Amino acid sequence: MTPMKSLLKFLAIIAALAVLPFLLRSPFLTHIGVMICLYTALALSMNLMLRIGQISFAHGAFMGLGAYGSALLMMRLGLPFPLAFFGAALAVTLLAWLVGLVFLRIRGVYFVLLTFAFGEIIVLTFIEWVSLFGGSGGLAGVPRPGWFGHEIQSRDGFYLLALALAAFAYASVHAIYRSELGAVITSLDENEALTRSLGIDSRRYRLLTFCFSAFLAGLSGALYGHYLTLVTPEDYGFGVPVNLVVLNVIGGVAHPIGTVLGALLLVPLPEFLRDAKQYQVLLYGILLIFFLLFMPDGLYGAINRFRRGEKGGTQ
Amino acid sequence: MFELAIKIVINGLTSSLVYILMALGFTLIFGIMRVVNFAHGELYMVAALLVYVLVGSWGWNYYLVVVLAAVGVGLFGAVLERVLFRPFIGRELNGMIMALAISITLQATAFILFGPDEHSVPRPISGVIQLGTVMVPRDRLAVGLIALLILGAFYLFMRYTKVGLAMRAVVQDEEIAAIHGVRPKFIHPLAFGLGAMLAGFAGALMAPIYTIYPYMGSQPMLKAFIVVILGGLGSVPGAVLGGIVLGLSESVFATLINTTVATMVSFGIVVLILLIKPTGLLGR
Repeated sequence: MTPMKSLLKFLAIIAALAVLPFLLRSPFLTHIGVMICLYTALALSMNLMLRIGQISFAHGAFMGLGAYGSALLMMRLGLPFPLAFFGAALAVTLLAWLVGLVFLRIRGVYFVLLTFAFGEIIVLTFIEWVSLFGGSGGLAGVPRPGWFGHEIQSRDGFYLLALALAAFAYASVHAIYRSELGAVITSLDENEALTRSLGIDSRRYRLLTFCFSAFLAGLSGALYGHYLTLVTPEDYGFGVPVNLVVLNVIGGVAHPIGTVLGALLLVPLPEFLRDAKQYQVLLYGILLIFFLLFMPDGLYGAINRFRRGEKGGTQ
Repeated sequence: MFELAIKIVINGLTSSLVYILMALGFTLIFGIMRVVNFAHGELYMVAALLVYVLVGSWGWNYYLVVVLAAVGVGLFGAVLERVLFRPFIGRELNGMIMALAISITLQATAFILFGPDEHSVPRPISGVIQLGTVMVPRDRLAVGLIALLILGAFYLFMRYTKVGLAMRAVVQDEEIAAIHGVRPKFIHPLAFGLGAMLAGFAGALMAPIYTIYPYMGSQPMLKAFIVVILGGLGSVPGAVLGGIVLGLSESVFATLINTTVATMVSFGIVVLILLIKPTGLLGR
């Protein structure tokens, strides 16, 4: 497919998704749509990390900092929504750059352990710094997003915002993978020594990926906070990055469409199993083990293989 | 002032020993198999739950149960290696995700079976010992002594047995070790089992001191992470040194300020060490 054609197809899909809630008119389904969009953006940000062979456990913290940041900028400083929203995400990106400078000094799993410790420390800060972050109760009454006096009250409006975010995340991640940066990212995971021998400063690329990934997490977190109108520390702990890894592995890491597939299938689950959250976690765990052992390419890989097999059969 | 200092040191060293038990197993598993065992905290939790059931409900002898729980968790670890980790040798990312999957599966299972409540078992030892003018809780002292014994046994095992030698060889270079007849098929489950057993000991020993609940493993796991980063991932002496550094620094700041500050300071130390010597204190 030519780039023009695939762009049109992408826009058509987004447009179709955008009118969906106005046709269905179901608040519950719209809510699920919002969650799917938010998690798609988040899972794509984790996809970037998995592509460089890392897991970032700081992503819950980044999401939380986006949520608290955007809420506080509106509540305390009275900033308009767009400024608070992007301001918080940029602050998260800056923080990611600072920690990335230290954490990416050594290769391999140290990064994972460090992001884990960092995430825990940030959540601890949310709980302990009561005067700013409101302690375990968090911040209640987070303002709704608004634009020049127009406040977004309806779920449909939120859905459109979340859809725009997911579309932005998908388009940018997709564009990154097709660009030179994407080629470097893939080569870093495959053979770092060879990549570096070409004169590529691998740390800079890792840092760049980490920062953009944090930016996406910050944006999604900010929107999530405004959507719930409540920001509590427990929403941004260890569980977030784990869920994002689950969505990616089950959907398939190799292509961003796999990540979208994972979010589409798994995000609605907890909304239906609301009273049995532990069964959902158990199911996630068992699914993850199953996919790792038997379908390591995820659903995307399985579908691809099936399609290729079918084509091969008819020829 | 002097009393306070002694109190800080004793508290610090008793927690150090438990951190070392956790970190040693974690670092051993990483050193031999290159697996970041995110389920390490859950192995600790499983041992504590065994104590809760066997001692708390069935009234078995506590010390017997400590050994049983540790051996049980060790066997469980060996089975995990054989069934779930073996396909991922040499693939760090997938091994890590598998460990995560095991971690959340065990947590959810514990939650479903035992509920979210914090349980406790009666302490086998109570009271305090008067050391000069300093009061030391007897149970913490006993845990410290038992942990010391286990660590001594572990050291002797690694230092003087053929299997221990083989393990140290694999940590250094698996291929060369294989040339000399060390079979990974044999060493991997053994190392995983041994590491799991150490976590099991830690969990069973701490069960009467702390409360027992499905997420109890996350704190000790965080501590183990910090210890191994401090000491250098894969380094056994590093884990010992890192454990002592963490235990003492936490004790100082927890006594003088509070535990949150203590956690943040230990994280600050980690960042500092990484800036100065990225591979940890004793890392290669």
